[in-house]
Amino acid sequence: MQTVTPAAQLRAATFHWPGGRGVAQIDLDIEPGRWITLLGPNGAGKSTILRLIAGQLDAQQGRLRVFGEPPGPAARRRIGVLFQEPTTDDLMTLRETLDLHARLFGLSRAERSPRIAQLLDELQLAERADDLCATLSGGLRRRLDLARALLHRPTLLLLDEPTLALDPSSAEAIWRRLRALRDDGCALLVGSNDTAEAEANSDEVVFIDDGQIVAQGAPSQLTAALRSDSVELDWPACGAPQLAELQRLEGVGAVRSAPPTLHLTVDHAASFAPTLFQRWGGEIRGIRIRESSLRDAWFQIVGRPLHAENQS
Amino acid sequence: MSAALAACAALLLRDLRAVARSRSQLYSSILFPLMLLALLGAGVSDGLRPASPILGDGDYTDFLAPGMIAMTAIFASTFSSAGFYRDRETGTLQALLISPHSARTILFGKALAAVVIGSLQSFVVLILAAAIPGIELAWQFGWLGGAATVVAAIIALNVMLNGLALLIATRVRTMQGFHLIMNLALFPLFFLSGAFFPLDSAPEWLRIISYINPLTYPVDLIQYASWAPSPEGLLGPAIDAPLLAALAIAAIWLGLRRAPAAVQ
Repeated sequence: MQTVTPAAQLRAATFHWPGGRGVAQIDLDIEPGRWITLLGPNGAGKSTILRLIAGQLDAQQGRLRVFGEPPGPAARRRIGVLFQEPTTDDLMTLRETLDLHARLFGLSRAERSPRIAQLLDELQLAERADDLCATLSGGLRRRLDLARALLHRPTLLLLDEPTLALDPSSAEAIWRRLRALRDDGCALLVGSNDTAEAEANSDEVVFIDDGQIVAQGAPSQLTAALRSDSVELDWPACGAPQLAELQRLEGVGAVRSAPPTLHLTVDHAASFAPTLFQRWGGEIRGIRIRESSLRDAWFQIVGRPLHAENQS
Repeated sequence: MSAALAACAALLLRDLRAVARSRSQLYSSILFPLMLLALLGAGVSDGLRPASPILGDGDYTDFLAPGMIAMTAIFASTFSSAGFYRDRETGTLQALLISPHSARTILFGKALAAVVIGSLQSFVVLILAAAIPGIELAWQFGWLGGAATVVAAIIALNVMLNGLALLIATRVRTMQGFHLIMNLALFPLFFLSGAFFPLDSAPEWLRIISYINPLTYPVDLIQYASWAPSPEGLLGPAIDAPLLAALAIAAIWLGLRRAPAAVQ
């Protein structure tokens, strides 16, 4: 049986920044044609993992391989990287930016112009091709950075928050383009803190918290233990007796408390909510009900919400 | 190797474009030395009428011209180094560093671009100084030999300055810190290089400081090749050329050796 060389493989990879943050004991296999999302809050270590694979950082412990080789300049020929922050140079035009990177990646003279024109067209940048980057909005800069990452036809894409600063329709166009690349055999490793995007696009999701992998699997596996509806309650006065009583109610899954918030999934929120308010209506200050999703899996596994701001 | 050269050429093209678009930088790095040459040269020559025998006919403007050529290189390398910080702060450097070239190749390409840009600007000042009727340059090795020596000295000076800039970049993370270093270190060194006054008539303590100053040797070499009425009072090419070459090679070697860690 023929074995496929993983696009990237990490074994117990560890890197600590001065000051303590970083990642520890990361095990990860990124196969060709697979889309893996690293999901976690800001500062969890997603960007550090992407930079380790890109060869920008050297692992202090553990083993890393990119297409079977140690990460470094040679491996980068097959990697496209999109950073979280813009990398555009205000003193260059869009076309010049892509031309510079095409030269750095060794595209031949004959190859350069048509490839640049194709990407400018695909990412709807053609009309602005000869404008200085200084005149671009955040969304256009994002698209230009993506064009730069795709320029040399990489077979491993490392994308940090790829649709940051994009409007929904532009974001969807980018996701479509990335899905097509995955279908063509490109491996994708995406850093994100958007659970909906991760659930919609990923073959596998890796929960990263405080520099460590806390769970990984297909979105359906990670959400398998959840009941159908998710309930989030603002309940500052909730104590151990209320928690125990809640847990005993029929149709209620695991209950997680992250004061002042309480998170649980239930079989039928419509029948659960009246019972809840009959019993504790005076103590509960707010309730959010929706269909269970990956964000609830995060809350249940990690024990706190992915985004504090999403509680509103 | 050819891929690395192509990468350096691409970076050179990029930085040349950036300088061409940043006109204020271009004008200030060329016009300021010329303005100083005109105002300080005329002011000292006519206002103070210096009688030092080393000035020959007493024209301070002629004496000042080689120093202003060196000053152009200092200004240009300062701007180029500021560009390095700008690239780091805007993320552009990060995008360059994920190309299939080592950090050292990318930084070498950027340093090469800075040397070319700084040298071209210094050549412009050299040509203008040679063309201005009031300035009389005296070519020690004939016109061609003198000009070739000045060109070589300008290139070596730019290599040294950009090597030093890379070294500073390994220690100083912010552009504000870099400018502070420039103001506190480079400009005093320039004032002590013999560009503004002849060193052989300076007090001994000042001469000692000047002789451990790396900027003294390119300034002396440019003065020797393009201005000096006689070799007296100058160190001369037998001392300047090997020291300048060694300093340039050491600075760029150390800069490129240390800098990749600084951009991680």
